[in-house]
Amino acid sequence: MTGMSSKKPGALLVLILVQVFCAAFFLWDVLHEAGPLGAQALRDFHVLAEAVAALCLLAAVLLETRYLMALLRRKAHLEWQVSLAARAFHDIIQDHFDRWGLTLAEQDVANFTIKGLSIAEIAALRGTAEGTVKSHLNGIYRKAGVAGRGALLSLLIDDLLEPVVEPAIMEPLQKHA
Amino acid sequence: MKTFKTWDPAIRVFHWSLVGAFTANALILDDDGKAHIWVGYAVVGLVMLRLLWGFIGPHTARFASFTPRLADVIGQVSDMATRRKRAHLGHSPLGALMIFNLLAAMLVIGLSGYMMTTNMFFGVEWVEELHEVVVFWAELSVVAHIAAVIWESRRTGVNLPRAMVTGVKSVPDDLNLLK
Repeated sequence: MTGMSSKKPGALLVLILVQVFCAAFFLWDVLHEAGPLGAQALRDFHVLAEAVAALCLLAAVLLETRYLMALLRRKAHLEWQVSLAARAFHDIIQDHFDRWGLTLAEQDVANFTIKGLSIAEIAALRGTAEGTVKSHLNGIYRKAGVAGRGALLSLLIDDLLEPVVEPAIMEPLQKHA
Repeated sequence: MKTFKTWDPAIRVFHWSLVGAFTANALILDDDGKAHIWVGYAVVGLVMLRLLWGFIGPHTARFASFTPRLADVIGQVSDMATRRKRAHLGHSPLGALMIFNLLAAMLVIGLSGYMMTTNMFFGVEWVEELHEVVVFWAELSVVAHIAAVIWESRRTGVNLPRAMVTGVKSVPDDLNLLK
């Protein structure tokens, strides 16, 4: 995850487009060769192999698109911060967002609110009404189980200062103590 | 809601004529019939006029006004990834890529289709295969185009299909505008 923000999303986008084109070609060839035979044609090894290749390409396209989206979400908030600490904090934040099950819009709003932007500023940046941002914030606080922005921040910073230690490592230490 | 006159009548007539002609040739008409060939000529003629209009037409019709840079494309995908809302008054960057894709596909389909009617290329396998594979690609592109229009209309709150009928884009007040 750490090296992700340095990579170019443009190259990934081009790769996705090329793979979509290849997948379409294989898919056409499978349908073309199958013709009136339908699913029966899959008994032919050549057709079967091509069908599998097309499906694998499509799966790769889906995964890469998800990855591209995650990369762009990250870039949207890390554009000007290249320090390791900022990245580490961002990873912890993202980890919490995933666990709380925030929607993509809520994640964006949460990132802005952690940076200290006001509701009006967030609404302007996201091109939505302030009421929409407020309802996103309510969702974030509810899912995180906190009362407001202050509590949300301290929850995240707490994790940054004291990394969670595995219970297995904790126990022997406690016995010694 | 703010309204903007976006698409001139020529663009709209071109769009819906192409929809009709491509649908007719791809799904309805007999591939070996005379009508298929004439509709094919009509499609190529429409695309030629559109190409000309792209240089002499009003601002939103001109290729120079909507040919996207990579940064514009990345920007639109970022908006989709973060569910942010920004509206493009003309074609969006991804929309523009789809337009170039479809125009090119129509020309290749038309050219390969014409070649199949000539003595020199009649019955030549690669010409027929080229025709068929690009038609398949165009059909996939049309499905992707429709899905993207629905998706973007829902994401930004701008009714894009209606704008292609009336020529007017209605944009919600909160939305940030681009271009």
